[in-house]
Amino acid sequence: MANHAEALAPVFVPVARDRVALALAGVALLALVALPWALGGGASALARAIGGDGAYWPLLAAAVALAYAAWRGHDRASAAICAVALAWAFVHAFALGKTGPSFGIGAALTLGVLTAGLARSVARRGAFHGDATVATIVVVIAALLLVFIFFPVGKSLVAALFDAQGRFAPGLAAERLLSPDVWGLGCLSGGTRCGVAVNSALLATIVGLGSTAIGLVLALVVQRGGSRYSGVTRLMSILPIITPPFVLALALVVLFGRTGVVTGWLSDWFGIPRSRWLYGLPGVTIAQLLTFSPIAFMLLLGALQAISPALEEAAQTLRASRWRVFRTVTWPLLRPALANAFLLGFVESLADFGNPIVLAGNYEVLSTKIFFAVAGAQHDPGRAAALATVLLGLTLVAFWLQQRWIGRRSYVTVSGKGDGGIPAPLPRAVWLGCFGFAAAWIVFTLACYGIILAGGFVKDIGRGDMALHLGHFASGFGIDFSGGAPRFTGSAWNSLFTTIEVAAVAAPLTAAVGLLSAYVITRHDFAGRRAFEFLTMVSFAIPGTVIGVAYIVAFNVAPLELTGGMAILVLCFVFRNMPVGVRAGVAALAQIDKTLDEASSTLRASTVRTLTRVILPLLKPAIVATLVFSFTHAMTAVSAVIFLATAKYNLATVYIIGRVEAGEYPLAIAYSSVLIVFMLAVLLAVQAAVGEARLGRRSAAALTVGHS
Amino acid sequence: MTRKVSGEVVFEGVTKRYGDVRAVDDVSFRVADGELVTLLGPSGCGKTTTLRMVAGLEAVSQGRVLIGGEDVTLRAANERNVSMVFQSYALFPHMTVLENVCYGPVSMRASKDAARELAAAKLAMLGLTGFEKRLPSELSGGQQQRVAVARSLVLEPAVLLFDEPLSNLDAKLRRRVREEIRELQQQLQLTVLYVTHDQEEALAVSDTVIVMDAGRIAQQGTPQELYEAPNSRFLADFIGDANLIDGELTVTAAGASFAAGGVAAPVRAHGAKSGPATLALRPHELRVVAAGEGVLEGVCRRAAYLGSRVEYVVATPWGELLAFDGDVRGRRARDEAVGIAFDPRAAILVPRQETGNR
Amino acid sequence: MRMLNGVRVIVAAAALAAPFAAAAQGEVVVYCTVQEEWCRPMVAAFEKATGIKVLMTRKSSGEFYAQIKAEAANPRGDIWWGGTGDPHLQAAEEGLTEPYKSPRMGELQDWAVRQWESAKGRTIGVYAGALGYSYNHDQLKKKNLAPPKCWSDLTRPEFKDEIQVANPNSSGTSYTMLATFVQLMGEDKAFAFMKSMHRNVNQYTKSGAAPARAAATGESLIGITFQHDAVVQAIGGAPVTIVSPCEGTGYEIGSMSIIKGAKNMENAKKWYDWALSPEAQAVGSQLKVSYQVPSNKSAPVPPQAPKLSEIKLINYDFAKYGSSAERKRLLGKWDAEISTLPK
Repeated sequence: MANHAEALAPVFVPVARDRVALALAGVALLALVALPWALGGGASALARAIGGDGAYWPLLAAAVALAYAAWRGHDRASAAICAVALAWAFVHAFALGKTGPSFGIGAALTLGVLTAGLARSVARRGAFHGDATVATIVVVIAALLLVFIFFPVGKSLVAALFDAQGRFAPGLAAERLLSPDVWGLGCLSGGTRCGVAVNSALLATIVGLGSTAIGLVLALVVQRGGSRYSGVTRLMSILPIITPPFVLALALVVLFGRTGVVTGWLSDWFGIPRSRWLYGLPGVTIAQLLTFSPIAFMLLLGALQAISPALEEAAQTLRASRWRVFRTVTWPLLRPALANAFLLGFVESLADFGNPIVLAGNYEVLSTKIFFAVAGAQHDPGRAAALATVLLGLTLVAFWLQQRWIGRRSYVTVSGKGDGGIPAPLPRAVWLGCFGFAAAWIVFTLACYGIILAGGFVKDIGRGDMALHLGHFASGFGIDFSGGAPRFTGSAWNSLFTTIEVAAVAAPLTAAVGLLSAYVITRHDFAGRRAFEFLTMVSFAIPGTVIGVAYIVAFNVAPLELTGGMAILVLCFVFRNMPVGVRAGVAALAQIDKTLDEASSTLRASTVRTLTRVILPLLKPAIVATLVFSFTHAMTAVSAVIFLATAKYNLATVYIIGRVEAGEYPLAIAYSSVLIVFMLAVLLAVQAAVGEARLGRRSAAALTVGHS
Repeated sequence: MTRKVSGEVVFEGVTKRYGDVRAVDDVSFRVADGELVTLLGPSGCGKTTTLRMVAGLEAVSQGRVLIGGEDVTLRAANERNVSMVFQSYALFPHMTVLENVCYGPVSMRASKDAARELAAAKLAMLGLTGFEKRLPSELSGGQQQRVAVARSLVLEPAVLLFDEPLSNLDAKLRRRVREEIRELQQQLQLTVLYVTHDQEEALAVSDTVIVMDAGRIAQQGTPQELYEAPNSRFLADFIGDANLIDGELTVTAAGASFAAGGVAAPVRAHGAKSGPATLALRPHELRVVAAGEGVLEGVCRRAAYLGSRVEYVVATPWGELLAFDGDVRGRRARDEAVGIAFDPRAAILVPRQETGNR
Repeated sequence: MRMLNGVRVIVAAAALAAPFAAAAQGEVVVYCTVQEEWCRPMVAAFEKATGIKVLMTRKSSGEFYAQIKAEAANPRGDIWWGGTGDPHLQAAEEGLTEPYKSPRMGELQDWAVRQWESAKGRTIGVYAGALGYSYNHDQLKKKNLAPPKCWSDLTRPEFKDEIQVANPNSSGTSYTMLATFVQLMGEDKAFAFMKSMHRNVNQYTKSGAAPARAAATGESLIGITFQHDAVVQAIGGAPVTIVSPCEGTGYEIGSMSIIKGAKNMENAKKWYDWALSPEAQAVGSQLKVSYQVPSNKSAPVPPQAPKLSEIKLINYDFAKYGSSAERKRLLGKWDAEISTLPK
């Protein structure tokens, strides 16, 4: 820890007066004087102060004082002014609570500027190695994370400590956390069922192992088989990105349900009785394997490609058999990636909501249980909070294990160096086994997607009524041309447009926040860097349902009133998906030599100039990948937004879940296929525009490291 | 060219700590204006860290750094009048040669035209005219290196820093480029701080060499001083080859003699006093002669013919000695009994260190 | 570029926060809990009738209950229309909804008014649907089984693993079934019955209507749901037969509540009054999207709707079984005694 104390010591002290701080003070003054302080328009802070509300005078005074301090170069004074003004604004607003105004444009601008001013002046006093830009990025992002992740989640988790009447009941919390419903091991000792946490952990373990194994087999086939199988790579890299929730589960029902297509063949031809084996652990496992093994595949393919063939060739020249080469060289080098893939599958499975809700049957898992504790007949948010705590705990344990086992150096980065040599062939039996399995798996995957794409065009695929039928599209996506200009009369248009709009607004913000975080994490050393990194990653570990409820609870009343608008959806996506941007940025920055920054710096470039002229241009592929990924991720997210969608801002997935709940699979399937086609089109358009052939792959890498 | 600013660099008791490790430990030195000073040492000795502290890329934990008489300890890299040529060149891969070289002037808010003019002049000086539109990836290693130099020179910095600039070049090119660098430095009267681990390179280009070891300055001096009067075993061994022999020095009025393994030989004491001492003998100062004709008797263990000389390993009472003998015709055979002769003036007496942990 | 991105996020967020609160005159925010195909024509009809702009969201009743509770400090919705009565009663009990007496009270069926009375005016019935079950007659024929007619048939051994019903902990439909059994048989016998039925249940689904779909597709032979959910499947061409159990059955009262503190209180009341009118209650059946029995006596009953008059309805005690204490007790008991049973 000695280096921390040292890092805090004044290091580089800027010479010139901080003109930016002066500008910030100007913006704050302008916002206070001219912009409406509260949400929904109305008076500015100045007008409110003149109108008799004395609470706004300190803020006005602070802005003036800040301008003076910045002019005189009193950085310490600037810092103190910003800190005090911020504290006053928040204390005042939260003290008034819902009786007071909600922060509007003027307040947001003022508070943002004060935060930035605080960061700058602290940096000029020596923190953050004196780099005001880095300080601003770190402090502003940390502040945003505190407001939009920790405040809401903390507020909702605290609910676990209260009973239904709102009384403080720690005993009840302990009971909720430790009940046999959660941790029971009955299923092991011949009883009927295990606790829901045990179920979730079991499912997650199976899925983690399974998806890693499947991913490894596919990766081996593709890597050793060479460019012949690049189609597989593209398919597997794109599918997880563009797949809406429920889709695979629905496809499985259509194929393997008791009245499923395949079940029918088996019954007609082989006399295998129709059964309901799909519902429960087997079905969810298969659906999750379909959903998550592409991610493991991308991760492991990267790892395999990173192993230099020269290593294997070296082993071969030492007279090692093929099998020995694989066992002694390839396998140990793969181990970190395998552990990563496993934990990734584990965490994804824990958080998955769409597959269990369709297929889990009587097999209870945490993600759906939390949802029904809130929205089901129990109406028990305290219980939901307790279960959410358990889920969060399991996820954090997984993350912790990953950090412990693999450490920080396990990111799969493929060096730009072309490796000579040909990968060692696999032992023949292994190759045949892998190839056979991979082929079967790909066919299976394609069948599932084929069913979805076909399903929208027939009357009722679930019932085997395969008559051509466009009614589902007509009801969802009807367009009325009768009145001259087309009118979008279908019931799904509204949600589709909103989804696209929200995703399109959220994507660039996600990329900006994520990549800036990645930049300061990888390129700058400052006190609390690890803590900051943890902050940026933690939202991934929080289950979507928890976030959704937390957002309603936290952002429904003044001073932070956001519910009902589009902003809350955008913010939810930005802060949920930002770890992806962070990881994509970290991975991409790892491949950009740090001496480029240093060269820029010794050529007298400011941090901002280095960032915009050197780093960002070189990060272009990562930026595009993050944009596409956060766009599609926002389009397919479900659990977090169920509670946030409103009449004005309804979302595609919320619409689909409504259809699924009502058992209207055909329309759900039709909508899903529209989403798939749309996102595929976006992806291809971006690829064509950017000419980045490895987009899918980079996205997947981003996604996978997103959990590391 | 008139130079306005002094490039004198002064380190005053500078320490750099990483946690509990002292990468640079209480280092003080001075680089005079217009001088080329090399920081030389094995990897991990702190030479690059020292260079980076001059550039402002590393923060100083303790002590002061002065450039041109001004304390810059607390200045960020982009506020110091210093440029650096990186080992990897660190050319911006997405910019052309011209854009790379213009980067510095534009950062300093020069107009586009002015920046271009400056860049063109420096590119011409380095023989890169005609390459302006190329991307770095379209240049050879030597050309990239020169672009990196041009990019650093264009700001006409008070101090130019080189971090192992030749390590990515092949042996022949390395010799040529180092001469070019030296020439350029002389011609422009540049103050240069140069980091390398290659002692030959250091001796060839420097006015002064600072040898570092384990975060401290081991010795500082002209190339000749370092070679001929190393002040420690480490130095004697690091700069050039040396046979190091521990023994006893006896100084009398008549002269000095060095004894080890029961055999004494006359040496020049250079002011050293009697007592335990270490003797350094450069292999090329040793001659392998017929048995009985040398000051030491031994047996030839190995004799490798290298065209211009023979490299011997001879087992003597002073241990196995390495000798380079130019007498290729009178080559000795393996296992032959031989003698070792040397000029007493060639003997270098190295102060004996008390601590054994060096 | 000095304007920092982080600041931009705040600014953008603030700029985007289209305030719902400042809704203009002439709007009403409707939380709709029937299926989308019914919600939308209702909205269109209301807009046409009154000129008031409707902002409608469709979610399940449980989701809306959770949302209204979460939003209680600053309500976003104005009126909550449709959905099984229990969450409405729960919301009424917690004071999340507003008492209101409509001038159309006199036109309503008794059960609708009873709902209003037991909620102290905070919620009112708009439609009723009887509980029952549907079976897939194709499959039944294939298996050569006698058609079931009563609740008691559901314990027949040949139906092993052939019955699907929702989990009462997640579905109001299934809670209605639980409460119906208790009222029909007495608590002890009801639980004994459910224990023996448990052997035949292949899955306790999350969603209340899902079993009707399962019976329609043949995923399950029998699905216990509200009868109108099964009617939707039958109309869609599914080979299902709907059963009103011979012992009698309970029913839900699809309800409507005005949300306390509604921003558009006047318009919410307009919707309330309109929704109780015969015209409004005919919308669903005319478009063949609703097969529930409307609460206005003069509203046309859809011909396919299960006739409440022909169904033996029990005298369902909504006040008692809608109260949170009783529900919690029964659900807890079900969880402990039924869901943990081995097959």
